[in-house]
Amino acid sequence: MKLISLLCISLLMLVSCKENSEPKQGAETTEQLPSNSIFNLTSDWQNQDGKTIKLKDLQGKTLVVVMIYTTCKTACPILVAKMKMIESKFDRKDIDKINLVLVSIDPETDTPEHLKEFSIKNEMTGPQWTFLRSAENATKEFANVLSMKYKKISPIDFSHSNIISTFKPNGILVSQEEGDINVDKVVTTVNQTVRKK
Amino acid sequence: MKHKHFTICATTLLITALLSCNSTNTTKPETSSAEAALAMVAEGNPEVAEVTGAPKVPAPIGARAAKKLIVNLLTTEIEGIIADSIPYTFWTFNNTVPGSFIRVREGDEVTLNLKNDGSSILPHNIDLHAVTGPGGGAAATTAPPGKEASFTFKAINKGLYVYHCAAPPVPMHIGNGMYGLILVEPAGGLKPVDREYYIMQGDFYTKASVVKQGLMEFDNDKAVAENPDYVLFNGKKGSLLGANMLEAKVGETVRLFVGNGGPNLTSSFHVIGEIFDNVYLEGGSTVSHNVQTTMIPEGGSAMVEFKCEVRGEYVLVDHSLSRAFNKGCIGKLKVTGEPNEKVFSAKTLTKE
Amino acid sequence: MKHLIILLFSIVIVSCSKESEKETVYKNLEGNKTDTLQSIQSTVKMVYIPGGEYKPFFGSNTTLVSVAPFLMDERAVTNEEFLEFVIANPQWQKSNIKRLFADTNYLKTWPTDITLPENALKDAPVCNVSWFAAKAFAQSVDKRLPTLDEWEFVAMADETTANARKKPKYSDSIIDLYLQKNRQFKSVKQSPPNYWGIYNMFDLIWEWTDDFNAVLTTGDSRSGEYNDKNLVCAGGATSATDVMNYAAYMRFALRTSIKADYTIGNLGFRCAKDTTIIKQ
Repeated sequence: MKLISLLCISLLMLVSCKENSEPKQGAETTEQLPSNSIFNLTSDWQNQDGKTIKLKDLQGKTLVVVMIYTTCKTACPILVAKMKMIESKFDRKDIDKINLVLVSIDPETDTPEHLKEFSIKNEMTGPQWTFLRSAENATKEFANVLSMKYKKISPIDFSHSNIISTFKPNGILVSQEEGDINVDKVVTTVNQTVRKK
Repeated sequence: MKHKHFTICATTLLITALLSCNSTNTTKPETSSAEAALAMVAEGNPEVAEVTGAPKVPAPIGARAAKKLIVNLLTTEIEGIIADSIPYTFWTFNNTVPGSFIRVREGDEVTLNLKNDGSSILPHNIDLHAVTGPGGGAAATTAPPGKEASFTFKAINKGLYVYHCAAPPVPMHIGNGMYGLILVEPAGGLKPVDREYYIMQGDFYTKASVVKQGLMEFDNDKAVAENPDYVLFNGKKGSLLGANMLEAKVGETVRLFVGNGGPNLTSSFHVIGEIFDNVYLEGGSTVSHNVQTTMIPEGGSAMVEFKCEVRGEYVLVDHSLSRAFNKGCIGKLKVTGEPNEKVFSAKTLTKE
Repeated sequence: MKHLIILLFSIVIVSCSKESEKETVYKNLEGNKTDTLQSIQSTVKMVYIPGGEYKPFFGSNTTLVSVAPFLMDERAVTNEEFLEFVIANPQWQKSNIKRLFADTNYLKTWPTDITLPENALKDAPVCNVSWFAAKAFAQSVDKRLPTLDEWEFVAMADETTANARKKPKYSDSIIDLYLQKNRQFKSVKQSPPNYWGIYNMFDLIWEWTDDFNAVLTTGDSRSGEYNDKNLVCAGGATSATDVMNYAAYMRFALRTSIKADYTIGNLGFRCAKDTTIIKQ
């Protein structure tokens, strides 16, 4: 009996581990990336489930991307709220065609556990939500791709510009909203992008 | 050559004036407000706006409806003559100081494309005082060498406005000549006149370049002390003298679009021997009459109108007269035609 | 049978535990794949900079920033060196570069992928390179780009002192150099080095820094302290600490006007490196 249960657990784990590596294999097959696609970035990222991915693995869905840090008390809560508003205004039947991505500019604090906790607390837990962190180097590089400015002021405080960007499923930038972000404008852009696909 | 140009210009003005007179007598431009301008729909496809270097101005907008316009400006850093064959490194909009005159109508939707020339050393941008919005467009148009930036605005306030570069350090960019005027005409256009000219005053602070012999450059210390070497109309000593004098004929009405780029000195604009019939104070909507000298703040403007009654040469000055006599702030308007002894006659008494 | 199961179980444990050691994974997350870059040899002399506290140009007057000791190239990366880099790394040649990493002006004056312009000096600084390209070059020589604070720390020096900011002519003499046209076409190391032995901080080109995007002012300098929460979330003061330092204004104006994929005719770079040595 003991033996059988051990076998079952092992098999289960094996299966779940295998699942983790599947998206990577899928991404390998699509080689023709446009020259200006963000999927040309080769950096490694961790999502809220602690899974290591490449940006390429996000291919295939319209992306709505924002960079934040979860311990921010000023602008980021507004940005997060706006991301939620964007999500809520989206047609439910198309929800599997978009991916709302929140990228941390404070990878040291924003561990996968922390991101997971943050996502639960803010009710951003569906498959359409992705939280990412990477090494500082890759984070800076990603910010530069978005033309986003940020600076570490103290170990717990960052200055940063507020930008929400929309990308086509192939990683090409459609448009960016900066500053006092107009949620409806982003939703319109995302809707158009999804339909074009 | 010059004369021919003027004739063509004057004829065009006259025809436009006649046309606009016929069609716009019914519209009363003065009643419209910023809200009304906001509600005006800019129709049609965007057209590239005509822009001109001083002292010329583009044709009046006349009776046309609000439309979409494209204004293209190029920022450059070039050597030019500041005075008496002394070269100076100017920074410019469209290679002239002041920069090109932009003429639009209230309700127009203007897309401003700012290209920074590839040979520039520094980034530049544009803040138009005619724009309602952050920085007048400065942050939105900041372009490093070789790059282009653009933004769109709706002209909702009529008047004569200064534009200038606002890239840091701003006093240096303005001190080197990065300013110009943009006129937002009321619906129906300004009242037609016979002649229109574009004049802009600026103060210049110079020191010898350490690299190139004879070349002068911006002197920061003199600028901070507000002690200019030159105070000039249109970026050059003598720009409105000799062959470059402004011209008019007896009986004609003249409108001067006068701006002050600064960066530091307020102008007391005066035309010796003339009285301004109308002054649009500070370039706004209040019109004052019978003015001798009008104050033009730096970063501000005035529109002055007068009728030329008597022939002769009329001297344009900043009535802070040391600037006129010692620092170059002097120009002339030459009025030709028949004598008008009813208004002015001078008898020479000779001893015999 | 039992043995086999235990073996299987332990394999699973091992492979899965790799995923759970998140901190280690974080440390190992890679910015970009250095393994896809071919290394090249760099012969440029690096200068030891002891670092110390300094007052940033943007910040509050009382805040000092500490700069750790580091090594900095004595001069900018040259045309010749960059040519060597693109020969070894074809993905960074002008016809191969990904549009994400550089605009269309990348190495614009080069007639082919691997030829310098006819009139270009081999030892003039390379320009028309994006931040991504500069960063890749630095990685290929096992270095990095200097941080903004490191660069500005070195920029405080004149020929005779480490911090010449208080000298009355400090800013003016830099501006004199800045205003020279076409200086980017000159050879490196033709003018005297600064106090540290570093050349051409001001007289040839603008230079990329690793965190050029950490300047949170806009292209509009007149707002003083920049604190519009709608536009940026700025925890630190962004007002200038020395309003007479026009030279610094000009540098920061350039930095705020550029994006990482921009390539500009008078913008190049030099490399830096961490050091563990602390010299007295």
